[in-house]
Amino acid sequence: MTAPPVLVAQISDLHIKRPGALAYGKVDTAAALTRCIAQLNRLRPRPEIVIVSGDLVDTPAEDEYEHLNRLLAPLEIPIAVIPGNHDARALVRAAFPAQPYAQATGALNLSLAVGPLDLVLIDSSVPGAPHGVLDGDTLRWLDATLSMSPARPALLFLHHPPFVTGIKHMDRQCLRNTDDFAPLLKRHSRVRLIAAGHVHRTTLTMFSGISTTICPAPNHAVALDLEERYAPSLMIEPPAFHLHAWFAGDEHGELVTHVVPIGDFSGPHPFFDAQGRQL
Amino acid sequence: MSNSHGVSLRLEACAKSFPGGSRALDPVTLAVARGETVVILGPSGCGKTTLLRIIAGLEAPDAGGRVFFNDADVTKVPIEQRKVGMVFQSYALFPNMSVAENIGYGLKIRGIGKAQRAARVAELVKLTGIEGFEHRRITQLSGGQRQRVALARAVAVQPSVLLLDEPLTALDAALRERLRSELDRLLRTLGITTIYVTHDQAEAMALGDRIVVMRNGAIAQIGSPREIYFSPQSRFVAEFVGAANILEASIENGELKLPGGRIKLGNGAPAGAVTAMVRPEAIAIVPPERAALCGRVDAVSFVGDRARLIVTGAADRPLVLSVANSTDVKVGERVGLAIEPDAVRLLPGDRR
Repeated sequence: MTAPPVLVAQISDLHIKRPGALAYGKVDTAAALTRCIAQLNRLRPRPEIVIVSGDLVDTPAEDEYEHLNRLLAPLEIPIAVIPGNHDARALVRAAFPAQPYAQATGALNLSLAVGPLDLVLIDSSVPGAPHGVLDGDTLRWLDATLSMSPARPALLFLHHPPFVTGIKHMDRQCLRNTDDFAPLLKRHSRVRLIAAGHVHRTTLTMFSGISTTICPAPNHAVALDLEERYAPSLMIEPPAFHLHAWFAGDEHGELVTHVVPIGDFSGPHPFFDAQGRQL
Repeated sequence: MSNSHGVSLRLEACAKSFPGGSRALDPVTLAVARGETVVILGPSGCGKTTLLRIIAGLEAPDAGGRVFFNDADVTKVPIEQRKVGMVFQSYALFPNMSVAENIGYGLKIRGIGKAQRAARVAELVKLTGIEGFEHRRITQLSGGQRQRVALARAVAVQPSVLLLDEPLTALDAALRERLRSELDRLLRTLGITTIYVTHDQAEAMALGDRIVVMRNGAIAQIGSPREIYFSPQSRFVAEFVGAANILEASIENGELKLPGGRIKLGNGAPAGAVTAMVRPEAIAIVPPERAALCGRVDAVSFVGDRARLIVTGAADRPLVLSVANSTDVKVGERVGLAIEPDAVRLLPGDRR
């Protein structure tokens, strides 16, 4: 008799533009988000919350955030958002005035209690730059936040991955101050996952002894180019999002991440007939 | 809806140490009656939020501490099973949902049917004064309206206890005062057991059935707003809950001896060195020839409904007076001061 898992969906890198505009002249990011939301709404059981891990819009511009808010309205699950390098903090703050950001100015950090879990969202964006840094306020806030409730498992979300992927042009703009981040995490055993975005591809690794993921995007992917064969490029690949499932257990429980493809797919088709024979 | 509901609450020896060994909270014991509003008041870092988090189940007390809801030990019960409603300084509303969807969300995930949900949302919308905004998006609301929605959402599920952590702090002063009186009416109407954390003494006075004043991780005093204000048991409480004149002086023959004269005290005043407190509004201006205590007016400031005077020479430090705005005195004028015996509070020496 095990308790059902606590489900936390993560979508990332929405890159919403003004209505009608295509990202990079190619990608209808608004239509992509709408398909993603339909998929989220179909999930059973429902996730408790959807985390949007940055690059909410593309330019950024105020009317892109207005467009984003209109597109998000059909989503039947609560959301929490943090910025990425394509966002502007002031515009995010204005577009999402109800988000409980920890500081009144500067980085948009927040923590949410979702049942037995603490979701800790940190702002790795650097105003005007594509790479990521956790500034002094954020590091102090994170340390203090993780010091509270040491018995509760925590999932950490940020836009910039704290590791290199091998895709060079993205690696130049990943999280820079991992030397500050890693020792901080060593002090807190309750972090069960570090979940990033930014690279538009599912990527899995360990950082500071903790499972670390990059969430794919609902739109395009950054081309998997590990030897700089071509200029920085995007690929139209199957879109997806992550569904993090936390199971109660010893210490801080177990965490499993599912990759959920977005689209209308055939099935479910049973494996066995009514007599239990394989079909 | 005016019947008291929610649970009674009891904390027994709840302390909290952090992994580094620092003590956030000394062992606290506190009982809250069903339907009561208790305000936890103190400066930042006094342990008030830690206490709230222990009640919520976000934090476990150190070994030996226990939390009871209606006499049931919930120390090991996680937050999601304690049925607490929480409202924070930041609203934490769902930005992609309308006002009505936000308020009804907790009911929806509990499987409450659409019609019943709509009825409850309508009731709360009316109660919190946000009628006409049900279908607005959160982005279209003011800060005060958002906090009303957060409150409506927290009470929608009829929580066992309502926990409010500085819910008005992010709002501007005028709005804060208006919302404070609305909140008071709302809490009385709901009659729900409420723990309200704030650093603002005016909020504490206005909202609390009782106030728990905290300092350095410990309870400094528990009492009704009147007790806390008029009978503080320490200099810290006296100064934290309002303006206070602190007098270091000695008592002889039932009178407090001061540089500018004396104040007659009630029967049974002890002899010797004491620390006494007098509130600014408890000192009246009288003609000097009829006064046992005199001083000189050092400053007069008109603050609208009252006038604020600074009088020197009466006590070992300048006295602050809050008098009627029609009081006619000038800077440099010698004045007499009248203080009723029971307006002088003797404070025990402060343990630091």
